[in-house]
Amino acid sequence: MNSTYAQAAASPLPAVNARPRGTTLLTLVRREFWEHRALWIAPLIAALLLVVCATIGTFHMDLDDSRHLTEPQDRVALFTVMQWVVAGVLYVVAVVVLSFYLLDCLYAERKDRSILFWKSMPVSDGMTVWSKCLVAFVVVPLGVYLLAIVAGFLFSGILAARLALAGAAPILGWDTLEWLRSELAMLLIVILGILWYAPIGACLLLLSAWARRIPFLWAMLPPVVAPLLELIAFGTHHIWNFELQRTAGIWWTLGIAHTHIFSHHGVRPLGTLLAEADFGAAFSDSGLWLGVVFTAAAVFAATRIRRYRDDT
Amino acid sequence: MTAVIEARGLSKSYGSARALDNVSFTVGSGRIVGLIGPNGAGKTTALKAILGLTPFTGELSVLGLDPRSQRDELMREVCFMADVAVLPRWLRVSQALDYCSGVHPRFERSIAQDFLAKTDIGMHSRVRQLSKGMVTQLHLALIMAIDARLLVLDEPTLGLDLLYRRKFYDTLVNDYFDKQRTILLTTHQVEEVENLFTDVIFVNHGHVALASPVEELGARYQQLTLSAEAAPRARALQPFYERELFGRVAMFFEGRSAAELGSYGELRTPSIADLFVAKMQRTASP
Repeated sequence: MNSTYAQAAASPLPAVNARPRGTTLLTLVRREFWEHRALWIAPLIAALLLVVCATIGTFHMDLDDSRHLTEPQDRVALFTVMQWVVAGVLYVVAVVVLSFYLLDCLYAERKDRSILFWKSMPVSDGMTVWSKCLVAFVVVPLGVYLLAIVAGFLFSGILAARLALAGAAPILGWDTLEWLRSELAMLLIVILGILWYAPIGACLLLLSAWARRIPFLWAMLPPVVAPLLELIAFGTHHIWNFELQRTAGIWWTLGIAHTHIFSHHGVRPLGTLLAEADFGAAFSDSGLWLGVVFTAAAVFAATRIRRYRDDT
Repeated sequence: MTAVIEARGLSKSYGSARALDNVSFTVGSGRIVGLIGPNGAGKTTALKAILGLTPFTGELSVLGLDPRSQRDELMREVCFMADVAVLPRWLRVSQALDYCSGVHPRFERSIAQDFLAKTDIGMHSRVRQLSKGMVTQLHLALIMAIDARLLVLDEPTLGLDLLYRRKFYDTLVNDYFDKQRTILLTTHQVEEVENLFTDVIFVNHGHVALASPVEELGARYQQLTLSAEAAPRARALQPFYERELFGRVAMFFEGRSAAELGSYGELRTPSIADLFVAKMQRTASP
């Protein structure tokens, strides 16, 4: 066997190395955006709608409630709040789109049998699955973070301009440092959110690689049915509590439930979260890192399933 | 002859069904090998094993690599096209080229572009907008542009009309194939491509029924056409298959000399299609 290979290797076709990993990975990531166009179209449309709202929408503001806006720091604070509201809308859209993406990305290629084409290319299963994780856990969340900055500026800029043109008192103020603090707090929360929700994302990815049909049903039914069964059978809520903990738990750890941005003292800029929220506790939470370990295991399992499954 | 594929005792079961049962064969370098068998004979399973797409037992070496553990290296040298239309429907032609350029070290984009320029396929069309024949052309364009050592084709022209089929195989032989390359092909339409093959492997019920270079078939198999009256005497020479056609009988012999058979009737080398039918009928009703 060795001798035949030596002869084959001596044939005129020169040995070629793989494409540099970076080029391959970049191509694979682009491929995801070709197939799943909602990944970039949906956040863009949401951002566009927000800007349109700022341009032609009508806003009612009870001046009694906004009497504090006469203070410059309140106007700066309201500006940061506005950035977070805009970003919040975009993150909700991104989470929905990413959930469907993760549930579909390893299932669609089996359903339409295009996996046979992808597998005819010199791309390992590890690289393929890794590219999908990169899209879901890095490219889209950080892309939406950047998009939120642009959309937030447009939204508040247009609003401020309209108020000025109408001769109304200004409600928004600019402070570079406050803005940076607010964006930094948001970035930390985004990173925390990625790490915290990664295991849920990895479960969806695993279902996508594993389910023979309708991965959506597998994703929806067990989390709903299991706590109900437990309640009926044992009258307890352990599963429900676990699910609640894995969805919202990190935000409890952050300890900001009693931080009031709006109060009768005025509006506080969201940069205050940097000091008030316990990021140290959240980022060193054992549940968070257990989840990350689980994510790695689930992604590995999805890779193995894609490698060895034969159902085309 | 350098071996590109060496299979020894290849076995694979799906539940209790044996798709491949202790199969051994060799595919030499620079050959065009037809893997021929009825539906469910194990052709596709054999190809999947070769491409590392399915687990199996036994020994298998493809270009000196083990498809189970060295699949990633292997796919740099091997190209394959599973039966029509596995290109995803959302893919644009330009994206297909971008993708292959991005991930395949042996992909030469200009070759694919030149090939596509001779077709009606637009660069910005999506696969879903193309006809079945055009999708196959697109896939062929990608394959032509990949400088692979082994090309594996599984029913590549299934469901295409005659013009597309003819064009497909003409391109393959005239523009793609050379002595450094090896093509392994399964097909149902044996008659159309039998002139293409340098070697044939017949598989049936997970076994290899026949594996031979085409040029050696003539020395091994004979087809004797004779009148119905002469048939009983010729039958004494034990044909392995016979059939009647317009009152004449065609008998198929293995390992008989022309001198033995010539006196009974008209003697010739059976076509691959006829030989295939003869071999399969025999295994079906022993």
